[in-house]
Amino acid sequence: MHIVEILTWGSQKQNKEKNNLKHKREKWTTGEESIEGRTTRQTRIKDSGCGRSSGRESAKPRRRKSQKKGRVGSFLHKTSDRQHRERRVFVAAAAMDSEDYMYDSDAEETTYDDDDLYYYSDKEEENIAVGDDDDESRRNKKAKQSYIVLKESDIQQRQENDITEVSNVLSISKAAATVLLLNYNWRACDVQDEWFADEERIRKKVGLFEKPVFLLPNKLGKVELTCSICYENVRVSMMGWVSCGHPFCRECWEKYVSVAIEDGVGCLTLRCPEHRCNAVVDRDSIDLFAKKEDKERYLQYLIRSYIESNKRYKWCPGADCEYTVEFCEGGDDECYDVCCHCNNGFCWNCMDDAHRPVDCETVAKWQLKNSSEAENTAWLLVNTKPCPKCGKAIEKNQGCMHMTCRKPCGHEFCWMCLGTWKEHGERTGGFYACNTFQKNEAEGKYNEDEDIRKRAEKHLEKYTHYYERWAGNESSRKQAVKDLKQMQNDYMVRLSDLRGATDAELKFITDAWLQIIECRRVLKWTYAYGYYLPEDGDKKEKSKKGFFEYLQGEAESNLERLHHCIEKDIHNYLNKERPEEEFKNFRAKLSSLTTVTGNYFENLVKALENGLEDTSSQEACSSQEASSKIKSRTSKKGRKDYG
Amino acid sequence: MQASRARLFKEYKEVQREKTADPDIQLACDDSNIFKWTALIKGPSETPYEGGVFQLAFAVPEQYPLQPPQVRFLTKIFHPNVHFKTGEICLDILKNAWSPAWTLQSVCRAIIALMAHPEPDSPLNCDSGNLLRSGDIRGFQSMAKMYTRLAAMPKKG
Repeated sequence: MHIVEILTWGSQKQNKEKNNLKHKREKWTTGEESIEGRTTRQTRIKDSGCGRSSGRESAKPRRRKSQKKGRVGSFLHKTSDRQHRERRVFVAAAAMDSEDYMYDSDAEETTYDDDDLYYYSDKEEENIAVGDDDDESRRNKKAKQSYIVLKESDIQQRQENDITEVSNVLSISKAAATVLLLNYNWRACDVQDEWFADEERIRKKVGLFEKPVFLLPNKLGKVELTCSICYENVRVSMMGWVSCGHPFCRECWEKYVSVAIEDGVGCLTLRCPEHRCNAVVDRDSIDLFAKKEDKERYLQYLIRSYIESNKRYKWCPGADCEYTVEFCEGGDDECYDVCCHCNNGFCWNCMDDAHRPVDCETVAKWQLKNSSEAENTAWLLVNTKPCPKCGKAIEKNQGCMHMTCRKPCGHEFCWMCLGTWKEHGERTGGFYACNTFQKNEAEGKYNEDEDIRKRAEKHLEKYTHYYERWAGNESSRKQAVKDLKQMQNDYMVRLSDLRGATDAELKFITDAWLQIIECRRVLKWTYAYGYYLPEDGDKKEKSKKGFFEYLQGEAESNLERLHHCIEKDIHNYLNKERPEEEFKNFRAKLSSLTTVTGNYFENLVKALENGLEDTSSQEACSSQEASSKIKSRTSKKGRKDYG
Repeated sequence: MQASRARLFKEYKEVQREKTADPDIQLACDDSNIFKWTALIKGPSETPYEGGVFQLAFAVPEQYPLQPPQVRFLTKIFHPNVHFKTGEICLDILKNAWSPAWTLQSVCRAIIALMAHPEPDSPLNCDSGNLLRSGDIRGFQSMAKMYTRLAAMPKKG
């Protein structure tokens, strides 16, 4: 525990600015009453006259409040004597300079108004909590959340609200409002601004005609017209048209719409089948013409477009997971880890598996490295190029160098140099052996891959070492997820029957498994981190590496103990009747192993997130002292606890 | 009957009825397969293709007319938007600007228009495109004329 405290102290000054921000957020929370986060959001959105974005921005701090409120209250009450005592001990041990010391001792007597102080206390509470109070630590984890997991119906509701708002403000149909929003990336404000600036132009651009350009004969009903898709003569009453008035028979409409929906998300901006007619096929028309299953797919695309064009939403990348995650910027500093309701943890930033404490860049490098030989990637690298705008891999299978990305991106670029096509007119000199490409080659930009390969060979042995451990922990984690499922479906029931224990009483087992899964994940990523840690640097770098390996080793050995305990020992209690006392001991042992392991990993994570700073020679010494203290303390504790 | 077959049949009838309507285009359906068509088009006048007769091959997809037919030149042609080796055509209406209201006949007309007005900015035949883009109209025309003579005109004697 001491190690962490020292690190916290050391990074305190650097974090001052962040802390101020943090404090401001907290201030929001103290004065107000608790309202359910989501309802607040929605009423807010309705209230704000113009603009979803502004409405939501203002809703943000409020929402945080509902999560953080408990924390503030509990903190003020729970700053027990013990914490004061601990802090004093720590201040003395760390031998800080007198100014800081004064600052701190002042703080203990006064209230918790001061920015820095608040932060300090806040942080300390976390550390203390990590100590032994499990509940407290869980609350802290919850408070860290800067995201919400949303069901599809929630998203639908929000989308519907946006559409209704635009439809009301502009006095147009909901379907027309949807078309406009689709064209402006679902930004209601933009739609309104543009619309009121030049309605006619916008109508033309998005394809919402005010008057039909094709006038149908006056006597409808029995009049027959030729459908220019199937060339059949059809009664006008059996035909359909969008705002332009070009009539086609219902049957052809259904097929036309169906093919477009089959083709992908581009169906959201489908145009009238008439040649060069710009009239859009809106939602109402789709409702009228499409088959039931096509309508459902259309609605899916509509939601997809809503989520994908809004930077605050992302799909959970988990297999078959239908949840969406909303992330609020300005949450806990640089913590992008998100845990979906489907139990899939992922990183908001890079969409890879959750990888705290390792940063996204390292993960990307590591993943690329791992897959560099995979056939898939090799094929993608050889045969595709990413669209320079949206990044989707594009395979060129025919045609000229003038590439047009799939809708809705639609970016036009040159296959050779990936530059935008606009620059390929007369300005590049007009010759198709694209000169940018040759320039790059001449400058040797393409030799990078070669270098990487050489380095990889050189470090192959080192890499194998880290990779095996990384992969080992990953498979271990996957196994643990399976084991947890089996535990919940089978063992827990048996245990509960055998022991007459309630679910709550057996919760410690689930907790232990969850801890193992989380730790395996962290441990896995620390191996990627370790791989990229500079090897032959100066003294400081070396001590960093040493410190890292020490922390990692400690964490790992504890995790192994915990994993072994739950995997093997549990079987003793599944079949045979064992005395109640023994089971109690088992529970105590497992719970405390869970907590202790959790602490070790928390320390590891924090140290890595601080970039292993604060390991200058002096502090390294003290941390070693501190850690040896921990060691002796935990082992004592261990003996006591595990009986 | 399959919708695409019905529509193609209608087009077939139309072609039979108005055989002489457009003297520049002779559209014919494959004897055994209504999804395969060929067309003979005359090179437009006042272009290097004048006097040539070019053969096109149509492969019509099942989803026609909701999806465009695949068209390529069977006759060799020197044109910026036609692949010199495969005869593939780079034309917007055959890709993303397709509308089901188009017919095979109107596609032929569009291709004739493309022959008269090449678009050197998205070339499939780079040599041809570069000649035009560098302003060497004469060079382009003589190349195109030569290939028209070599490939698209009936051999004398």
